[in-house]
Amino acid sequence: MNPKANGQLQKEWGWLIAAYLFLGGVGAGAYTIAAINSFMGESLEPSTVVGLWIGFPALLIGSLFLIADLGTPKNAVLAGMKPGSSWIARGTWIISTFMVLSLIHLILHVFMGIGETAGGRTILSVVAVAGIAFAVGTMAYTGILLGASKGIPFWRSGVVPVVFVISAVVTGHFTIALGMVLWGGGAVAAESFRLMAAEAAALVVIEVLAIFFFLHEAYKLPDPRESAERILKNRMFVIGYFALGLGLPLVLMLLVSLGMADAGKSTILGVVAVGSILGLVGGLILRQAVLISGALPTLNMAGFEFRRIARPKEPKAGIGLLPPS
Amino acid sequence: MPRYGMAIDLKRCYGCYACSMACKTANHTPPGVFWARILKGEVGTFPNTTRQALPVLCMQCEEPSCLEVCPTGATIKLDNGIVIVEKDKCMGCKYCMMACPYGARYSVESWESYFPEGLPLSPYEEFTKKAWEEKSGVGVATKCDFCREKIADGKEPACVETCPAKARTFGDLDDPTSEISVLIKHHRGEVLLPEVGNKPKVYYLAPR
Repeated sequence: MNPKANGQLQKEWGWLIAAYLFLGGVGAGAYTIAAINSFMGESLEPSTVVGLWIGFPALLIGSLFLIADLGTPKNAVLAGMKPGSSWIARGTWIISTFMVLSLIHLILHVFMGIGETAGGRTILSVVAVAGIAFAVGTMAYTGILLGASKGIPFWRSGVVPVVFVISAVVTGHFTIALGMVLWGGGAVAAESFRLMAAEAAALVVIEVLAIFFFLHEAYKLPDPRESAERILKNRMFVIGYFALGLGLPLVLMLLVSLGMADAGKSTILGVVAVGSILGLVGGLILRQAVLISGALPTLNMAGFEFRRIARPKEPKAGIGLLPPS
Repeated sequence: MPRYGMAIDLKRCYGCYACSMACKTANHTPPGVFWARILKGEVGTFPNTTRQALPVLCMQCEEPSCLEVCPTGATIKLDNGIVIVEKDKCMGCKYCMMACPYGARYSVESWESYFPEGLPLSPYEEFTKKAWEEKSGVGVATKCDFCREKIADGKEPACVETCPAKARTFGDLDDPTSEISVLIKHHRGEVLLPEVGNKPKVYYLAPR
C-alpha cells in the first residue's frame, strides 16, 4: 500500500484575496437585487436604494484589498492586458465596467431622482439591465477565478462559480437587510422585513445544497477529496461558516418570517440584523476556507507518490543560530 | 532554433540535493525559494520498501498554464521554448502560482536573511541579494529559466552541470539525434501530470 502523500497547501492567497472575493460578491449581489427591484418597478423602494448604495463602494473597497495583496502594485495598471486568456484580466474589465454602471445607476436614481418621469424610468431600466449583466459577470468571475486555476484541483470545479454566485446573492441580500435595519428600519414596515427574511431563508437553503454538491463532487477524486476532508476538519468552516454563518441565520430568518407573530418591530429588526451579520461573516469565512484548503496536486511517477517539500516563508529556526552569549 | 528540454533518469538520481544547491548558487535565490527541488517518495510495506527521489523544476511547458493566466503579459515563452517572467511587467498577483500544477513558481515579499532576526546580512548575502534583485526581485513571480544566461554562453544549466550521478540530460528536443531525444525515445520518457495538458518539456526516465 502506498503511503499517503499530501499535496502542499497553497499559502499565497489568504485573507486579502478572500476579502476581495467576498466584497466583490456582496457588491454585485446587492446591486443585482436592487437593480431587479428597480427594473420591476421598485416594489420595495428602500431596499433598492440601500442595494444601490452598497454596490459601488463594496467593489471599490474590494479592489483595494486586491491591490494590497499585489507584490508590485505599481504594475496594476497592466492588469487588463490579456483578456483573451487570463481571468484576472477579464475580471478587471468586468469589475471596472460594473463599477462604472453601478455608480451611474446610483447617481441617476438616488442623487438625480430621474425615476420620477417615464423617460427617466426608461433610462434607469437600460442602465439596470446592463448593470445586472455585469454584476452577474462579477459574481461568476469571483468563482471562475478559482475554477480556472489548474494548479489547485480542489478549486478546479465547475461548481465553484455556482457556489460563489449563490453566496454572492445571499450575502448581497443580507447586506441589504442589514442596511435597511440600520438606515431605514423605522420607515419600513415589519411585513417587509418578514418578506425579506423569507427570501433570505430560501437563498440560504439553496446555498446549503450548493455547498453539499460542491463537497460531494470534490470527494470523487483523490486530491480534491483531501482538500474537502481538510475543509471539513477546519473549525472555522464548520462552526464559523456552516453553523453560525448558514445554520443560525436560517433559523433566525425562518423565525422572523414564520414565527414571532406577536413580536414588536424592534425585536424583528434585531433578529434580522443579527442573522444578517452572521450570514455576512459566514460568506467571508467560506471564501477564506476554500482558499486555504486549496492544495497543489500530488505528483505521481513510476508508482511513487511524491510529497512536496515545504516552502517556508521564514528561515528555519536554528539555521545559523549563534550560541547564546 | 532549438527547443530545449531536460531528461532526468530516476534510476541514477539518489536525491543528494546537489542540483538544489547549484541552482541556489547560480541564481542567488533567497531563503525558501527552490527552483530546483527534490521530492522523496516511498512505496511498499516494511521491510519491503523502496524510496525514490524526484527532482522537480519548472517544466518549461509547451502550453504553460502560467502564461495563459498572466494578466499583464509578464510571462512569455521564448523561441527556444523557455518560459520566463519579465519582472518589470509583473504585478505580483500570484495567479500564475495557482495555475502551475508543478508548484514551480515563487514570489517573495522581501529578501530575508538566512540567519536569525537582528543580525545584519552577511557580505555573501548582500552580494546575493543584489544579484537576485537584478535578475528577479521581490514582489514578482520568479521561476527556473533553465539558466538561460549560461545556455547563451554555450553551457548547460547549473543543475545539469553539477549532478554527480549524471542523472540530468539537457538538450534540443527537436533534434532526433541529440542525446536527450535518444534517451527519451529509448527509455520511453514520461512527464508529470500529463492529464493537465500543459505538455511539459522535462521528461523522466522511470527507474525500471
